[in-house]
Amino acid sequence: MITISSVNPQLAIELREVSFAYGNRLVLTDISASMGAGELVALIGPNGSGKTTLLKILLGFLPPKSGQVSLHDRALDSYPVKDRAKAIAYVSQQPAPTFPLTSYQLVSLGRYPHASRFAFSGADAAAVESALEETDSKHLKERFFGTLSGGEKQKILIARALAQSARVLLLDEPTLHLDLYYQLQILAALKRLCRQQRITVITVLHDVNLVSLFADKALLLCAGALRAFGPVREVLNEPNIKDLLGVEMKLNEDIETGVRYFIPRDPFNTRRNPN
Amino acid sequence: MNRKRWSCLLIGLSLLVSFFLALGTGPIAISLFDMSASDKVIVFNLRLPRVLSAFFVGGGLALAGAIFQGLFRNPLADSYLLGVSSGASLGAAATIVFRLASPMANFAALSFFAFVGSLTALALVFYFGHRNGGFSIFRLLLAGLGVGLFLSSLVAILMLLAGEELKALIFFFLGGFSASSWETAWISFACIPPAVVTACYFAPELNVLLLGEETAESSGIRTRRIQLLFAVLAALLTAISVSVAGLIGFVGLIVPHMIRLLSGADHRTLLPLAFFSGGVFVVLCDTAARTLIAPAELPVGIVTSLVGVPIFLYLVGKQPGDYNL
Repeated sequence: MITISSVNPQLAIELREVSFAYGNRLVLTDISASMGAGELVALIGPNGSGKTTLLKILLGFLPPKSGQVSLHDRALDSYPVKDRAKAIAYVSQQPAPTFPLTSYQLVSLGRYPHASRFAFSGADAAAVESALEETDSKHLKERFFGTLSGGEKQKILIARALAQSARVLLLDEPTLHLDLYYQLQILAALKRLCRQQRITVITVLHDVNLVSLFADKALLLCAGALRAFGPVREVLNEPNIKDLLGVEMKLNEDIETGVRYFIPRDPFNTRRNPN
Repeated sequence: MNRKRWSCLLIGLSLLVSFFLALGTGPIAISLFDMSASDKVIVFNLRLPRVLSAFFVGGGLALAGAIFQGLFRNPLADSYLLGVSSGASLGAAATIVFRLASPMANFAALSFFAFVGSLTALALVFYFGHRNGGFSIFRLLLAGLGVGLFLSSLVAILMLLAGEELKALIFFFLGGFSASSWETAWISFACIPPAVVTACYFAPELNVLLLGEETAESSGIRTRRIQLLFAVLAALLTAISVSVAGLIGFVGLIVPHMIRLLSGADHRTLLPLAFFSGGVFVVLCDTAARTLIAPAELPVGIVTSLVGVPIFLYLVGKQPGDYNL
């Protein structure tokens, strides 16, 4: 308990009893959670559980129907859009640009909320360089974005968000369609940002083993309701995963490293969940 | 930086050369440094307004194409595909057929109704292209195609209804600058340069919009407002171009691509370069159109396609990376 409060002296984002509905269809009910500086928080839930809606609320795109969202102790909806962009950056799943931009140009776009309309300052250039550095993609900067591999593209898109110099970074499945090497590389980069720069990273992740390896906290969403929120070791257990994903998983612990991992109990007999 | 200076120099030079060429050539060759009284009449009353109109129309079409392509994040988008040109021509045709204003006497009214037409077309495209409060690029393009075809058939109906105005209509829709006057030059000058400046001012926002609406919104851009602004600018540019010169295809599609292939997709350079190159390109094409088979004239649209498409096809092969539609 003492360790947890000393690791998170500073609150980054707080959700208080947030609910949201599209018309009459309730999508999120009573979500309360707080995320501190330097934490890597994983958002887990089956498709349609409301993860994307929650992300949009955290980004300020959608106003909650009831409840409050505060960012650095201030109501999220009181931020002018440019100030919000300086505080929260986002890596979406939207397709990347169609037209020929170099990686450097693309990452530079992240400076939009800071840069003057007419000139790119030394501070802007430095932020772009360090964002490329953090994602280990300096060697890609002269390449056209369209010619990069999937993993390289994702690193550049993350670098663009980092160039926004925000204290909170939101990502929507950053490891989607990537091979294991890039999945690990990207999560390791995010982990470094949390540890070294005390950035709060909130990311949608589907792979429970990656969550177990990298995340500090997990937010488990099931049909729009909060199934559990807390330190990964506490909330990522067999009953929660069964409820959440509809798959029976066996929890193991690696003797050497103490890392916890899950394997399906009966993988060849996966059927529609009776509940 | 150096590259920027070179392209500015190149643009300035080609502007100068194309104007000299366009003013000096025609059915009668004129030396601009030694003009007789009748030469002066030809140059200042006929050729100069025509060259200026061609420049603004070409630049306006190219800029409108560049804006639509950026806004829709699609290399195929332009005023034609989106039905905006059809809307403008419907507005113009209605003005002529219903005698809301005679085209020669009241060109401003013609431009105004063309603008109303292009805005209406755009509103229809966005209305049919949206769903659940969001836009899908594909749906918008399909809606544009549909709206364009529908409005074109309305134009065809107007042509059937037209009596003695039919000749004016046909003349109008063949496209070209033979009817250009100081009036068309002044209206283009009043409308197009302010639109160019506004578009260039907001180029950084258009750049960020290339990353998608969510990313743009999270970067601190009021996405809807910027999209609306650019859509209205492109509709205005299209309307003025259509009312000055009728329908001239390919410029809006091809010129922005050529610039993008040569100097990249950054709208801060792309937009001004597209405007100037589009202008120079159409001035040169119009010069060819009125000289090649003088005293008759080729429709300028034929020249723009004949010259532009081969250059374009050559450059498409050199495109780095892949387009993803």
